[in-house]
Amino acid sequence: MRAVLRFSGSRLISAAITLVGAMVALFLILRLVPGDVVSVMLGPRATPELRARLAAEMGLDRGTLEQLWIFLSRAAVGDFGTDVISRRPIFDIVTEVLPHTLALALAGMGTSLLAGIPLGVLAAWRPGGLLDRALGVLSVSLITTPALVVAILLLVVFSAHLRWLPVSGAGEPGDLLDQAAHLVLPTLAIALGWIGYIARLVRAALLEVMAEPHVRTLRAYGVSEARLVRHFALRPALVPVVAILGIGLGDMIGSAVFAELIFARPGLGRLMEAAIGNRNYPVLQASVVIVVVIYITANLLTDLLNAALDPRVARSLHESGP
Amino acid sequence: MNIRRRSFLLGSTAVGALAMVRAARAQDTARLKVRFEHDIGNLDPGNRIGSVEDNIINACCQTLVRYEPGATDWTLDAAREIVQVSDTEFTFELNPGQMFSGGYGEMTAEDVKFTIDRFIHGDANGNPLAFADDLGAIESVEVTGPYSGRVRLRHPSPALWRVGLGDASGAILSKKAVEELGEAIGTTLVGSGRYELAEWRPNEGLTLVRREDFAGVNPGHYDEIAVRVIPEEQTAALAFMADETDFSPVTYEFRDRINAIPGAHVIDQDGTDYTWIGMNVEAGPLSDLRVRQAIRLGIDIDAILAGAYGGDAGRARSMLAPGILGYWEDAPSYGYDPVQARALLDEAGYASVDLTFTSLNDAQSLAVAQIAQATLAPAGVNLTLNALDPGAFWAMGANDASAVLELALVPYSSKTDPGFQTQWFLSGQVGLWNWQRWQSEEFDRLHAEGNSTMDNARREEIYIRMQQLLDESATCVWITHGRHHFACRDWLSPALLTNPQTWQFENFAPV
Repeated sequence: MRAVLRFSGSRLISAAITLVGAMVALFLILRLVPGDVVSVMLGPRATPELRARLAAEMGLDRGTLEQLWIFLSRAAVGDFGTDVISRRPIFDIVTEVLPHTLALALAGMGTSLLAGIPLGVLAAWRPGGLLDRALGVLSVSLITTPALVVAILLLVVFSAHLRWLPVSGAGEPGDLLDQAAHLVLPTLAIALGWIGYIARLVRAALLEVMAEPHVRTLRAYGVSEARLVRHFALRPALVPVVAILGIGLGDMIGSAVFAELIFARPGLGRLMEAAIGNRNYPVLQASVVIVVVIYITANLLTDLLNAALDPRVARSLHESGP
Repeated sequence: MNIRRRSFLLGSTAVGALAMVRAARAQDTARLKVRFEHDIGNLDPGNRIGSVEDNIINACCQTLVRYEPGATDWTLDAAREIVQVSDTEFTFELNPGQMFSGGYGEMTAEDVKFTIDRFIHGDANGNPLAFADDLGAIESVEVTGPYSGRVRLRHPSPALWRVGLGDASGAILSKKAVEELGEAIGTTLVGSGRYELAEWRPNEGLTLVRREDFAGVNPGHYDEIAVRVIPEEQTAALAFMADETDFSPVTYEFRDRINAIPGAHVIDQDGTDYTWIGMNVEAGPLSDLRVRQAIRLGIDIDAILAGAYGGDAGRARSMLAPGILGYWEDAPSYGYDPVQARALLDEAGYASVDLTFTSLNDAQSLAVAQIAQATLAPAGVNLTLNALDPGAFWAMGANDASAVLELALVPYSSKTDPGFQTQWFLSGQVGLWNWQRWQSEEFDRLHAEGNSTMDNARREEIYIRMQQLLDESATCVWITHGRHHFACRDWLSPALLTNPQTWQFENFAPV
């Protein structure tokens, strides 16, 4: 337990450093990009006086280092200021769309695992067989097909023509069935590539584990293949899958940008896309901070899960102690 | 893999249930479903962003006067009577019993005064409103009775009625609501209109519901108007095809597909906006009139309309669109003549000219730029294209950033009063929004006169003369006023104003 706490503590410290570094980098990059939110949103109605007033309100009339310090110190307590356009707290703007992005990303990750793992197991069942080769073609096809193409095709087939599933939105609040219906196509769009990837990963890991001496011995003792996979091989074979979950979640959140645009879903991705175009720096900075926090948290949790799954990882935590 | 029967049945039932939920929604005819391209930014009429907010404000609020679809003059709305005492003074009498939503009571003359005072003096913190200029001609409002008042102007202002009092800027707010809600008024619109904003789901949509305590005459045929925010055009077309929307702006690429849908059609309406290629008169060779004339002759506008606009939009020959006061019917149309263009360049002493063409980076703007580049080359004008994203492009309107521009493709939106369009070409706008940096005392004088003349005949003469001056300067190559397309169910009759981006939800009706 002590080793786990020590491990978590060190990861939290490095996570904080990563977070601050990401915020500083974003802050500096944004200051290099021309344009301001008032000119973009109001066009010719953006008078010099209005522009100056809102720039002062956003603190843009101060020195870069001063702006950076103000941003970091306020972000540390969750204060991202007020949006100059809507006059709403930026924290509220970001957190009200965050659940939609998380739902989409988690649904995507869950779908990838639920479909990818069984496909990988099936492929490894008879390596080189017809099913393995077919699943290999399927997996690579899923990986290489651009998600944007998949999304449009899904919309055309299942929404516009078959009318089985909705085109746009997140569904009626409080209506779980409706919200689930609105989640199906976007989830498939972002998950299909990962299904193929996880299937290939599980196949490779499982074949490696199945060739290990202890598994060969168990087979020689008459243990069935199904029991071998279920009880002795699958768990160690999932270690590489768990290892990429954190990265996968980050990728899902990144994919959520285009999914939210194509399917007109509310979410962090769409918020950031609009903020970039509108040069709404405060909203963009707050959104990125949230995304980085999620990413860091997800990686920390996958590391801990990995330790739980693989005794060798847990042992290394103990051995790294005083 | 052993798929169990129970699991299969459960899964199939779930998919079927999902389909039934959607089918039930598609048959709801008391509920109108429309699409917006953007979410609302700020519903405060003085700090709103654009046409999306205009349409919500128009549905939820009343103004003293309003414009009906197809009408060129205003009709009374919240006001029972307007008496023009002089060119700089009028009195108003409100209809009694006009109630604000949210329990904020009856509209009185105090609310009218409060609304206009915000535009004159700024918000509660004294900050000027973004749209303050729309009511900038008003000097003061005096309350003379519970429902009556007197408005005094700094100068006569015909534009006041079109872009101020009769537009979203003139939306009458509840003093009590604004004082209580403060800046929250931007997302909690309180008005006395036919509809009220019942729900807003950020980045997703909003719902307007009809108010039964509305005291006016606007019908409001639909109990509920559900707005879906769909930024992507492809998704919007698919949403319409899947019956998720009943009325949706679409681009011309989807016109044929939508028209092929049983029970649906596309409404085409010419726009009043103005897009042009501007030339910076201070930029090297462009300071020579002959060079600018050469460029005007060397750009094939018909090719641009065919290539960049799919042959869909009409050609603009001047700034003001048909239907706008001051429309110049006899404006010249310059045909593509690279030979004459070359001759003009030779006369000016240039064997060839190298210039930078700046535009937005969307597909249509890039197409315009590329066609201009191709058609100017035979004339000896070589263009380097510089495509900017909106943030960088619109940043040219500040701090004299436009001084570096040479040729620029500029798309502006319009209002129904011509003075709104001409103001961006004034000498005082050099360094701001006059990217041609062209200055004319006569133009400036005529603009001031046009803004303060109530005689429409005289105003028409003024604005035609102003367009003639622009034409003589050869600083602008007019391209189009745009064309708007709306996917619409056959059973729906929408209400669009002269600027097709302005809708009146209360007049949307079943056919």
